Amino acid sequence: MELLTFYPLAGFSILLALGVVINKSPIGSALCLIGMMLGLAGIFAMQQAHFIAILQVVIYAGAIMVLFMFVIMLLNLKGTGAEWRSRERNTLLTVLTAFLALGVLYKIVDIILEIDLDSPAKVADTFGTAAVIGETLFTDFVLPFEVASILLLAAMVGAVVLAKTKLD
Amino acid sequence: MITELLITLAKILFIIGVTVGFFAPILTWVERKQSAIMQDRIGANRADILGFTALGLFHAIADALKMFTKEDFIPEGANKVLHTLSPIIAVIPAILTFAVVPFGGVYNLFGHEVNLVISDLDVGLLFVFAIASIATYGYVIAGWSSNNNWSLLGSMRTASQMISYEVTMGLTIIGVLMVYGSMRLTDIGAIQEDFFRWGIFLQPLGFLMFLTAAIAENKRIPFDNPEAESEIVAGYFTEYSGLKFGMFFMAEFIEIVTIAAIVTILFFGAWHIPFLTTATLLSWFEILGTTGSNLLVMLIHVGVFFAKVILFIWLQMTIRWTLPRFRYDQIMKLGWKILLPLSLANVLVTGIVILMLQ
Amino acid sequence: MAYYVNRNVKMTWWERSYLPEIFRGLYITSRHFFINLFGFIPFFLGRKKDREIFTVYYPEEMVEYPPAYRGRPVLALNENGHPACVACGLCEIACPAYCIHIVPGCNSGKQNEIERWPEKFDIDYAVCIFCGNCEEACPEEAIFMSDDCEISMLDRKKMRYTKEQLLVPVADLKERIEFTRKMYAKWNY
Repeated sequence: MELLTFYPLAGFSILLALGVVINKSPIGSALCLIGMMLGLAGIFAMQQAHFIAILQVVIYAGAIMVLFMFVIMLLNLKGTGAEWRSRERNTLLTVLTAFLALGVLYKIVDIILEIDLDSPAKVADTFGTAAVIGETLFTDFVLPFEVASILLLAAMVGAVVLAKTKLD
Repeated sequence: MITELLITLAKILFIIGVTVGFFAPILTWVERKQSAIMQDRIGANRADILGFTALGLFHAIADALKMFTKEDFIPEGANKVLHTLSPIIAVIPAILTFAVVPFGGVYNLFGHEVNLVISDLDVGLLFVFAIASIATYGYVIAGWSSNNNWSLLGSMRTASQMISYEVTMGLTIIGVLMVYGSMRLTDIGAIQEDFFRWGIFLQPLGFLMFLTAAIAENKRIPFDNPEAESEIVAGYFTEYSGLKFGMFFMAEFIEIVTIAAIVTILFFGAWHIPFLTTATLLSWFEILGTTGSNLLVMLIHVGVFFAKVILFIWLQMTIRWTLPRFRYDQIMKLGWKILLPLSLANVLVTGIVILMLQ
Repeated sequence: MAYYVNRNVKMTWWERSYLPEIFRGLYITSRHFFINLFGFIPFFLGRKKDREIFTVYYPEEMVEYPPAYRGRPVLALNENGHPACVACGLCEIACPAYCIHIVPGCNSGKQNEIERWPEKFDIDYAVCIFCGNCEEACPEEAIFMSDDCEISMLDRKKMRYTKEQLLVPVADLKERIEFTRKMYAKWNY
């Protein structure tokens, strides 16, 4: 039953993720990205993580992508593909990116190999509820949480300052 | 298992019947008739079947027939796929919101615990919010794919307005869930059995701001800049005709019902009658047996809930036919300079009061 | 009369806080709503309705137009059954849209009979602009603006009315004739 929903969702997400890269018009890419976010949210919801799923929709699909669309439409990029040329090659950048990708891949493979796939872990009833996530955030992970909020605040203030100086 | 499935199916059918089958067509009539009565006119009453006009109710049927038979027009240079897809993206979230909206409490019928909500999500309040933000894309894509500058302007206005007012809406929701300590809409409804814990007493400012933001999200007058007729023809649905236009229309009317339902649940005691607890009601009808009394109480509660919903639909219609449209900069100013600080202050004050009461 | 809009109205703090004024507006509209919705109750109690509905069911009910209304121009048919028109052609000249076409007919010297009359008198309503200049120019009180404005039709050729279609007995035009006499007497030419 779970697999019956998982495979279509996963396939849908992967297809749309490819669509983001392949699509020629920026709006099409943005739409594919939104669809992929919704697919991811579906996968989260399937794993009992309702809160994360909803946050995925609210923050990424709902708020950030609307801004993306807004900016794309404001610039009115009519993507015919003619004016889009590939950037000149930068060997250092390519190598570094490859290292990064390899590292991530290695970690993923490592985790997959570690997990005993035959006996899925029992999750508690409260798993993924807002209360539990809030408690975890404010006890075990309070330092990263606060650091992240300070980072976001700094970014916001920086953006405001940049916009302000241009206006004056 | 089968009974559970059947009960859920019945609830889904009920909700779709009530929203799409009853409220959406009736509201077209209500809008015409109420505006007429408010402006000392008579209103639409010419559509008749065999000389029987039924106060103009048949205009809803005539509307539907007109939309079915009109030409489905796609403008030249438009993105055909997205142009067809966007009304669907607009109308589905509007109906989907009702998945978490409870229209009654929990009742013991024929040995089954029947909870009058399709999906009792732990994060119901956030779900409503998330679905509302998805609906934005329907309007934004509609404007972009029409290959029309008026439509593009309309969809840009939609995007900016939605972003601005979603912030306020989210922050007022935070105030509500701080007060009730739960995001489950059934819990929020159950808590309000006590008349003095209705949201309107605990979060009066939150109610006003939520209603304002919700009307702004629904893009109706006074916040109808995305479709301002006198400025940008019809905004994002300039190029839409026939059934596709009808879907935008229906989405708008269903969203009115959604807003009324959410306001009722969050601020006006959901399905409860003031000073009458469910237990009292049940003890009144004790003679009818468990199932009988529960059934009667369920009917009363659902009736009360929809009566409140209708009251708030009336309020929204009255606001729509009373106030003039804001200018674009006024909308932005109201959203960012007035409502956002106010809602932040609301969260702060609510937090302080809760801490002091502990 | 120049009309100036003062765009720098100083609002009081009460008005600028906006919400009370919104409630006032909502109170006014909902008062109208409830008075109209339940307006029939005082009527049954024997009192007059507080507010009347102004709507007129158009094709079934008609509004009485005032005599100053300029509908389609018509020719007056006097008491003897003859058109009052003498085919002088002044209206034809006065018409800014050139919609009047007259072919005069005349009597060759017979005594005690009408000397001149229009042989043909056509007005093309598809061209007419309802300015009333023909009525003003007429020295014989023969052409008048009636209160009829329902002249839409599907064929443009049918909108060119002939003399027979245009003639209206003078008795039907009494109000308009009195009105024109009053109006044009005031003006000094």
